[in-house]
Amino acid sequence: MPASSEATVTLTGDLHARPAGALSMAAARYAAEIVLVAGGREANAKSVLAVMQLGASSGQPVTVRAAGADAAAAVAAVTEALTAATKVGD
Amino acid sequence: MAATVGIVLVSHSAELAAGAAELAGQVGGGAVRVAAAGGTSDGRLGTSADKVAAAVRSAAAGGGGVVVLPDLGSSVLTVRSLLADGELADLGPVELADAPFVEGAVAAAVTAAAGGSLTDVLAAAREARHAGKL
Repeated sequence: MPASSEATVTLTGDLHARPAGALSMAAARYAAEIVLVAGGREANAKSVLAVMQLGASSGQPVTVRAAGADAAAAVAAVTEALTAATKVGD
Repeated sequence: MAATVGIVLVSHSAELAAGAAELAGQVGGGAVRVAAAGGTSDGRLGTSADKVAAAVRSAAAGGGGVVVLPDLGSSVLTVRSLLADGELADLGPVELADAPFVEGAVAAAVTAAAGGSLTDVLAAAREARHAGKL
């Protein structure tokens, strides 16, 4: 069974275009499948358009789930990208 | 450094091509070549084979090939004509993507910036057709 990992972050910024781009680029460095869950919807973290479509915003919890050999490192990197998201307009 | 894929945005409008290139480049964290080819050589709405060829030449400098996204109509015809005439043959692989202009450009730029192959970048652009915004 492949390794899996999960973490939840409460956003202090919004997943608008540039943060979503940074998050997807961070996710692309890992082989693991990485899913974001927010507001009852799921998105492939490696797809910038899917990440934006979540429409996740400040104050909302986002869960990162990864499955694969490098799942733990992938969750750490994506969690960091979520934490770095800025608010729209900032 | 590994070869990177470049992106060319071809539009009837110089402003549309340049604006979409700026947006895609920024969402890609500045780590991707996005070249714009918009308008005619005398500044009108339309497409210019010379501008497209120059943009492909610039985007090809990363060495990983080029994905071209046309807006519509003559943008498609101009790129197809350049490809058919072999005028871009010395620049490495050049693929024309059937994709939405803005979403395709952003998805392609992020995939290219993350080190994706020509196949990955082309697929990201095409798959943008199926992505919702809401």
